[in-house]
Amino acid sequence: MAHDRKFRFGVMCSHAASAADFREKARNAEALGYSTLFVPDHFIDHPLAPMPAMATAAAVTDTLRIGSLVLGNDYKHPVVLAREAATLDLLSDGRLEVGLGAGWMTADYEKAGLELDRPGVRIDRLEESVAILKGLMADQPCTFHGKHYTVTDLDGQPKPVQQPHPPFIIGGGGPKILGLGAREADIVGINANLRGGVAISDDTARSMTGVATDEKLARLRAAAGDRFDELEIQSFVGFTNFTDDRRALAEMMASAFGVAPEEALEIPVVLAGTLEEMIDDVYTRRERWGMSYVVVGVDVMEQFAPAVARLAGT
Amino acid sequence: MAHGRTFRFGVQSGGASSAREWREEARKIEDLGYSTLFMPDHFIDTPFAPMVGIAMAAEATESLRVGTLVLGNDYKHPAVVAKEFATLDVLSDGRVEAGIGAGWMRTDYDALGLRYDLPGIRIDRLAEALAVLKGAWGPEPFSFEGEHYNITSYDGLPKPVQQPHPPILVGGGGRKLLTLAAREADIIGFTPVARTGEVTTEQARETLPATWTEKFQWVREAAGERFDDLELQIRYFFAAITDDRRGLAEAAAPAFGISADEALQSGVALVGTVDECCDLLVQRREEWGVSYIAFGDNEYEAFAPVVARLAGA
Repeated sequence: MAHDRKFRFGVMCSHAASAADFREKARNAEALGYSTLFVPDHFIDHPLAPMPAMATAAAVTDTLRIGSLVLGNDYKHPVVLAREAATLDLLSDGRLEVGLGAGWMTADYEKAGLELDRPGVRIDRLEESVAILKGLMADQPCTFHGKHYTVTDLDGQPKPVQQPHPPFIIGGGGPKILGLGAREADIVGINANLRGGVAISDDTARSMTGVATDEKLARLRAAAGDRFDELEIQSFVGFTNFTDDRRALAEMMASAFGVAPEEALEIPVVLAGTLEEMIDDVYTRRERWGMSYVVVGVDVMEQFAPAVARLAGT
Repeated sequence: MAHGRTFRFGVQSGGASSAREWREEARKIEDLGYSTLFMPDHFIDTPFAPMVGIAMAAEATESLRVGTLVLGNDYKHPAVVAKEFATLDVLSDGRVEAGIGAGWMRTDYDALGLRYDLPGIRIDRLAEALAVLKGAWGPEPFSFEGEHYNITSYDGLPKPVQQPHPPILVGGGGRKLLTLAAREADIIGFTPVARTGEVTTEQARETLPATWTEKFQWVREAAGERFDDLELQIRYFFAAITDDRRGLAEAAAPAFGISADEALQSGVALVGTVDECCDLLVQRREEWGVSYIAFGDNEYEAFAPVVARLAGA
């Protein structure tokens, strides 16, 4: 079924000062009209583990959806992950969105002593994981013999409430991961190419210009074929800056990242300006790239809420 | 600090069929005076993932503690486990008990496509995992170079609310495992050993006095001065409130390959009237030091009068 491309919004929450603080954030996100609270998955700088945090957020809200953005596939075996995701979908009465990535942050692998394979291998492994997750969430027992995982006649338990499975979000920036998203995901997150293993660099910035994003969408469209119209396109806006002078900010970003100022403001992980300017950008990006699912950081949740109130569901 | 050996009680539950049922079960367990809701960690015949289930149970309750009985160490990397327990400890305001074992059920390894290593290797890996857990929960970045895990200047986040860390419960029954537990755990859960990787009548024999009581001696010897600080737990697998303990034992014993007399002497059997069960628990606390009592989700309601009488005593 074709996706209607109506706007919805998520909030990314990686920190909480206390249990009370986290509960309040989740309830606030729900009250402000956000669709989804997302939790990231890293071993540094992101002090909430996604599974218990998502479970808690679901428990203290009624309609708020919960999701991972994204789980690093290499940190858990897919059979473990399938059981956790299905349990969470069941216990949240069908409010889970499973965001999955191939794993990219070098520090995660170093800290935990995991081998950081080259991207192609990590993406192959993710592809196998997706097949296993879908297999275990389906009615029939799952058998899967891959290069990385072997599952034999296993009936996954529990079964998720959302059928055939909770929406899968696959996010990335390179052609191979976008190809996987095109074939297997329900929601595709358009990100920077993170081949350098760090979030902020010239390379990641240049991989996110308007022109580069045009290319990503073209690739996604080609890879998805008939599926493209069904995909929901997501953008995580990691840099949100409310200012009356976005030109000055653009120039600062431009010199920091080696792009032109007008390019800086097109970067879909950036929203800079007044609320009205941001709303214009959000519209423009939906027209240009189909990005109808916009995620902002929890620190700007309240400031951005008027945009959510205006746009959500339209 | 020496453990007071006051009684407390837990329930080991595999889950429920809906979110509402699960919340109601957690609240009922809390209302009946139980200290802790535990979830097991298996991939066959156990519906819920424990970390998610106990997070939901914590949020549905006020003071109930939540834990795992027990996580199979081999199913997740300890850096992941440390982070999940610490997160849950923060989000539950310090109500987590981190139960972990070496992994034993062969069907779990089959489900994950993992090699079923020799027990000694699994226990070595658990020993390393305990060091990783404690390191990640500690105040400083830490490094650990082991045979199985390598951690490099990792500052685990978040830090748990309970300090220095949530109570670590190590479950098992063999000498090597219990020796490790005696040195490293806060709580020891005694179970028979499943040498073949599945539940057999062999385990029932192992719970008979001749082989069962020596487990406590092993722990005492290995723990040394730590013994007084340890909390000891038994999960009662054969538990019933009945006026006819003899009749029940005669009906149940054959399935376990033991006689009715033996069944009543088993270290994991608690069968009788409320008075008889309370007397036996008090007697075993004196003999073995076991003060932390766990039941399954089919039995906990029946044992509510025992909990009412002994919890905190």
